[in-house]
Amino acid sequence: MECFLFLVKEGDFCMKKSFTWILLMMSALLVFTGCSNQSSSSKSSDSDEDKIVLRFTWWGGQERSQKTQEVIDLYEKAHPDVKIVPEFSGLEGYFEKLDTQLASGNAPDIIQFGGNLNDYVLKGVVLPLNEYMGKELDLSKHPENMINAATYDDKFYGVVLGVNAGGLVMNKTAFDEANLPIPADDWTWEDLEKTAKSITTSLDKKYGVLDFDEDGFGMFLAQRDKIAYDDGKVGFEEQDAKEWFQLWQDMRESGAAAPAELQTQNQDDPAQSLIVRGDVAMQFVFSNQYAAYNSATKDELTFHIPPYDAKTGKNGVTLLPSQFLAGNAKTEHPKEVAEFLNFFVNNIEAGEVLGMDRGIPVNSEVREKVSASATEEDKVVLDYIDLVTKTSDAEYTPLYPGYVEEQKLYKQTVETIAFEKDSVDNASKKYFKELNKIIERHSK
Amino acid sequence: MSLRAKTKNSLIAYGFLTPWLIGFFGLVLGPMIASLYLSFTHYNLLNAPQWIGLENYKNMFFDDDNFWDSVHVTAKFVVLSVPTQLLSALLVALLLKKGLKGIGIYRTIYYLPSLLGGSVAIAILWRNMFDSNGLVNSFLSLFGIEGKAWISHPDYALYTLVILSIWQFGASMIIFLAGLKQIPENLYEAAEIDGANKFQSFIHITMPMLSPVIFFNLVMEVIKSLQAFTSAYIISGGTGGPINSTLFYTLYLYQNGFSFFNMGYAAAMAWVLVLVLAIITGILFITSRYWVYYEDGGGK
Repeated sequence: MECFLFLVKEGDFCMKKSFTWILLMMSALLVFTGCSNQSSSSKSSDSDEDKIVLRFTWWGGQERSQKTQEVIDLYEKAHPDVKIVPEFSGLEGYFEKLDTQLASGNAPDIIQFGGNLNDYVLKGVVLPLNEYMGKELDLSKHPENMINAATYDDKFYGVVLGVNAGGLVMNKTAFDEANLPIPADDWTWEDLEKTAKSITTSLDKKYGVLDFDEDGFGMFLAQRDKIAYDDGKVGFEEQDAKEWFQLWQDMRESGAAAPAELQTQNQDDPAQSLIVRGDVAMQFVFSNQYAAYNSATKDELTFHIPPYDAKTGKNGVTLLPSQFLAGNAKTEHPKEVAEFLNFFVNNIEAGEVLGMDRGIPVNSEVREKVSASATEEDKVVLDYIDLVTKTSDAEYTPLYPGYVEEQKLYKQTVETIAFEKDSVDNASKKYFKELNKIIERHSK
Repeated sequence: MSLRAKTKNSLIAYGFLTPWLIGFFGLVLGPMIASLYLSFTHYNLLNAPQWIGLENYKNMFFDDDNFWDSVHVTAKFVVLSVPTQLLSALLVALLLKKGLKGIGIYRTIYYLPSLLGGSVAIAILWRNMFDSNGLVNSFLSLFGIEGKAWISHPDYALYTLVILSIWQFGASMIIFLAGLKQIPENLYEAAEIDGANKFQSFIHITMPMLSPVIFFNLVMEVIKSLQAFTSAYIISGGTGGPINSTLFYTLYLYQNGFSFFNMGYAAAMAWVLVLVLAIITGILFITSRYWVYYEDGGGK
C-alpha cells in the first residue's frame, strides 16, 4: 500500500510541465474514440460514399458464413450501388446481441430469425413487407404454408430460408451390430420402445434413444389433434403434458432411453451430441442438421420418420420453416432490403451457392436446381422431406411467445423428472401453470 | 498559499479528475438512476417501458421459484467457496513466507490462476476436465473409481464451480503474504523468549496482526462471489442447469434482461443485489469491531 503513495509523490515534481501534455493527450484520446465510433456505425466509409449500405446479420458455422458471403458478393456485383456489411456469429449470444442492438436503435437492416420471429413481430421491430410483394419481392414460387408461416395479422414479415422437418437420426452401424433392422416407416411408440430396449440390451454402453425434447412434444400433441400454442393460449391440457413426461420416464426406467445423467450431457453442437459420441442409437433432430451429424461421425447415420400414435393413427410431423430472413422495421432502405431478400431466396445462382445448409430451398425452381446436384447426404434429406410432404397430417404451429423463457421451463421440468427430484404429476402441474404465466406475460 | 494558486491547484485537480468524472456521471450514475426507474416498469427492451410500480419486486419475492433457486445457489456458493479459498490462500502464504529458494517463481505460479480464472478459456477448460470422460474421471479411473458426469449432474455441478473459485486463491494469497511480511519480527522473538510455541505465536501474534488483511480479503471475496457469473455461464452453456443447480443470481439476472425480454425485472433484481451487498458488507463491518485489531487505532 505504501508504495502507491510513494509513486504519487515521485511523480509530483514533474507534474506541472507535463500537465498540458497529459490534458492534450486525453482530449485527443476522447476525440479518437469519438471518431472510431462514428466510422463503425451504419454510415458509409469514404470509398463507398454514395452507396446504400445494408448491414446483414446471421448466425451459423464457418461453412454457412462462407456461402452467405459468396451470395453477398454475387449481389453486390449485380447491384453496384449497394454495399452489404456482414455481421455473423455463432448462435450462442446471437439474440442477446440482437436484442441490445434493437433496443439502442442500432440493429442491422437485414436479420436472420429462427422460429422466434413471432416474438419480434409482436414487439413491432420487424419490417412488414406487403407493399413489396409481387414487385421487388416475388413469392409466386413459394409454397403457401411457408408464406403463412411468416404472416401475422395479414402482414407478411420474412422469407423462409429453408424447409425443415423433425425426425430421427439413426445409427445404422449400431443397428447392424445389434442385428436389428431399421424399423418400418409406419411404426408406433410401442415399436420405438421395443427397438430401443433391444439396442440397450444387445450393445455395450449404448442406449436406444435420447429423450425427444420439446420439438418432439409438439409432434406428440399433433398426434392427438392438439397444438402447443393457439392464438394467445396454450392449446393442450395438463394431462397431455403429464402423459408425455410419463412416456419418457417409463422409457428411462425400462432402459430404452438414456438415463438422466447422460441426457443432460447432450449438446446442440453435433460433435457433442449423444448420437455422435456413440451413447445412443436414435436421436430427434431437424432434417437440415442431418449432414452435420453424419459428417461428425464415422458411423453410418440414416434419417427416419418418428413413430405414429397407435390409437389415432397420426404422425404429427409437419414441414417447418428452418429460419426466416427479415428486415428491421427501422431500416432507412426498406425497398433495397426487400430486393436483397428476394435475391437471397429466388436467385438460382445464389440458391446453388447456399445449397441446403439452411434447409431445403422454398422456391420450387431453386429447389429443383439444388436437388439435381445433390450430394448423397442431401438426397437423404430430400427423400425425407418428400416423405413428410406426402404423409404429413398436421399443421405448422408457431412457437410460443417468450420462447427462450419457455424453453428453460421445459428443460427444467424434464431434468427434474429425469433426476427424480419430483414426481411426474407434480412437475407436470408446475410446468403447465408456469407455461401459462409465461405466455400471458409475453402476449401483453 | 495565495488564492490564485489555490484556484489553479483545484483546477489542475479537476483537470485530472475530468475523465473519471465523465465516466462516473455518464457510465455509472446515469445508468444507475435509469435502472432504478426501469425496475418499476415492465420493459421488454424493444418497446417503451410501462410503469407498474412494485410488481417486479412482488413477483420476485412471492411468485418466482427460479429467483429463490438462484438466491439459494449463490448463497451456497459464497458459504462454500469464500472460507475455503481464504484458508488455502492463508496456508500457502504462510508456507511462502518462510523464504524458500526461488520464492518468486512459486509466488507467480500460485498467483497465475487468479489472473486466468475469470476468463472464458479457463471455464471451457474446466468444463472439459469435469466432463464424464474428462481429465478428472480418467484420473479417478486409475484407481478403479468410476466418476460421475460432474457438470451434468444437479447434485455435483455447483461443486465444480466452487473448486474453480478456490483454485483462484492467488490474489488473496499475495495480499496475505504482504500482510505477513508487515508483522514485526521482534514480536515473534519476544514470544519465543517467553516460551511460546509456534502455534501459540500464530494464534496470539499472527492472527491479530493479520486481522485487518483477513477482513479486507473477506469483504472483497464475499462481494466477488456474490457477483460470480462467467464460470457458471460458460460451464452450464448459459442455462444455469441442470435443474438450476448452477443458476447464479447474476446469471438469472442476465437471462431475464437479455434472453427473456424482462429488462425491468432484471433491473429490479440488480437493485436487490446492490441492497443485499450493502447489508452484508455493513454486517461484516459491524462485526469487525469485535475481531479486527488495528495496531495504530489504539488496539480496537
